[in-house]
Amino acid sequence: MTVPLEYFVIVAAALFMTGAVGFLIRRNLLVLLMSIELMLNAVNLTLVAFNRQYVGGHAGQIFTFFIIAIAAAEAAVGLAIVLAFFRLRSTVRSDDADLLRN
Amino acid sequence: MNSGLFLGLSPLLVVSLGGLLLMVAEAFSKRRVDETSDDRDAGPSSELSLGTAVTLLAGAVFAAAIWFVGPEKLEGASSVAPWVIVDRFTLFFSFVLCLGGALAALLAGGYLPEHRLDRGEFYPLIIFSTVGAMILASAGDLLSLFLGLETMSLGVYAMVGFRRASLRSTEAAVKYFLLGSFAAALLLYGGALLYGATGHTDLAGIREAIANMQPGKGSNFALVITAAVLIIVGLAFKVSAVPFHMWTPDAYEGAPTPTTTYMAVAVKCAAFATMLRVLIGAFGEGGLESWAAGWPPVVALLAVLTMTVANLVAGQQESVKRMLAYSSIAHAGYVLVGVVATMRAGGDAQGSVMFYLLTYTVSTVGAFGALILMGSRGAEAVSYEDLAGVGKRHPAAGFAFSLFLLSLAGVPPTAGFFGKLYIVKASIGAGLYPLAIILLLNSVISAYYYLRVMVYMYMREPAPGAPIAKPMRSGYVATALVVAGVLVLVLGLWPTTSLQIAVEAALATR
Amino acid sequence: MSTYVPLFLLFIVAAVLAGALFTISTVLGPKNPTPEKMIPYECGSETTGGRFVKPSVKFYLTAILFVVFDIEAVLIYPWTVEFKNLGWIGLATMGSFILMLVVALLYVWKKGALEWEK
Repeated sequence: MTVPLEYFVIVAAALFMTGAVGFLIRRNLLVLLMSIELMLNAVNLTLVAFNRQYVGGHAGQIFTFFIIAIAAAEAAVGLAIVLAFFRLRSTVRSDDADLLRN
Repeated sequence: MNSGLFLGLSPLLVVSLGGLLLMVAEAFSKRRVDETSDDRDAGPSSELSLGTAVTLLAGAVFAAAIWFVGPEKLEGASSVAPWVIVDRFTLFFSFVLCLGGALAALLAGGYLPEHRLDRGEFYPLIIFSTVGAMILASAGDLLSLFLGLETMSLGVYAMVGFRRASLRSTEAAVKYFLLGSFAAALLLYGGALLYGATGHTDLAGIREAIANMQPGKGSNFALVITAAVLIIVGLAFKVSAVPFHMWTPDAYEGAPTPTTTYMAVAVKCAAFATMLRVLIGAFGEGGLESWAAGWPPVVALLAVLTMTVANLVAGQQESVKRMLAYSSIAHAGYVLVGVVATMRAGGDAQGSVMFYLLTYTVSTVGAFGALILMGSRGAEAVSYEDLAGVGKRHPAAGFAFSLFLLSLAGVPPTAGFFGKLYIVKASIGAGLYPLAIILLLNSVISAYYYLRVMVYMYMREPAPGAPIAKPMRSGYVATALVVAGVLVLVLGLWPTTSLQIAVEAALATR
Repeated sequence: MSTYVPLFLLFIVAAVLAGALFTISTVLGPKNPTPEKMIPYECGSETTGGRFVKPSVKFYLTAILFVVFDIEAVLIYPWTVEFKNLGWIGLATMGSFILMLVVALLYVWKKGALEWEK
């Protein structure tokens, strides 16, 4: 019994949409970071799933390794920035980042 | 393994190794800032700024040297293709990016000590971001494209939030980080779908697979369209095209000015380089390059919106730094016009885009550099009022600022004039008359806010009792301004040679 | 499906065994609580402080560095699988990669990010 490719791709698309919608409607900076991670993981799932379609090539899986590594670096920088913001503002709500505007 | 490979990669290798050495040297150096000291030469900037500029200029020199040898003669350099493509396009952008990075590093050498920000981390960040930008410009594969993009962006996120004690700087970093990573995720998902539809992550393979598809038939083509939309949106975020520009003014305003300079020149140039590579390299066939069913109308719409909105909003700003931020968005709009023109006018249009990016780089570095020069510790030049009368009190600084503003406005005989001229010519050559007219109208609007700065500098006096901006003294900033000024004039007086070089570089991707 | 039957059996046996032992000891064990016995066990010494202790912010820097260095291992795994085919070039490439990580570690160390007491 094999699960058809479409199932993986649809689950990944749903994950990606969850992340994207979460990014757009949530107001907590840490949740926004998590949403971005969710989107990147959806990309990983898509790549690995599609890789099954192209037997003999590993481009999708190799890509995934790099995304995992970069996502970790991105999370590190992001957390550091959010922490710097928290130290000055004592909040992690994105609405409170309102100093710069037209 | 052979010498051709190493020579071909030498700009990248020189800059990366130089960055590593400087980073370690900085960590072992005894130079630390004493926060209470007023000695501006005691901190790490006094050594690192010059070291960074020299490293990046060495990268530019190596790129130029390979240009003269001819990248196609380097045997073995193609063994790293398509991850890193060593062609004239890459070399041109490597040169521009290294130049922009080196000038920004010199500006930092004056700015950071002046404003008590003198920590050595800034310089390795600027070098490694430039390495990322160079990889981005040379990437012929979505994998290395993503790696370059993130290497560049992660460094810049940290540089934006470099003034940790300032809420403005930190807030700018938060906004830039969130929207930048969101855009990268969109781009990446587009790439993943493209891989699913074509089975390739290299741009040439994607192009071929799309060309072999039956347009409009099958789910694969639908996937390609979805992917193209996601990728264009992701790239539009990175080049800050309206309506994906919301982060730009905030990030530019909150960041320390050398970072703003770097973002405005290097990050933007690298983003346009990869935009050209992707739109022409991957979406250049199978109907996607046509006006009827492809990306040109989408990019044209972005261009019109970007130019018009940015110019109208820029005129309403009271902060000169924020005005320059909107001006850089507007310039992205002009470049997008050239990008649309590449669909019909080919190499000439692409060459005009690349020449424009060169002129834009030197003019923008100069404008931000002059703004840095206008202010000093505790007396920064921010608003128009701060600049009142500066031109009379400090003629040299005023002259420099005026020159770069005239170039940004596109007044002959400066570099900016020919940049705009060639873009307009290319868009007329491609039959895009409405776009050319909108571009010209927008340049006229933009003259208003550029000239307004000069009016304040030369024809106003500071209000009695108002804080007076005092120009700073720094050999580094002065050097950067002189180099940028000479380039603005040289490119303005003898534009044809560099245009030919740009066109030759453009032909490498076709 | 039949291949998974032993696995399910194992789950059931484990659950029954653990539940039974717990119940038996509760039912059969002698109980005579004193106040002394009810305080939290801390190796015999007196307990101090409340239940919630905010983790020191020092953990955050260590954690971030850990995440970055830890994930780099993911790039080494594919190389080990293909170690023989990649040969000396692979070894040299991975060597330079690890060398760069070492330089980064050296930098982190010199910058004092690994110091616990400042």
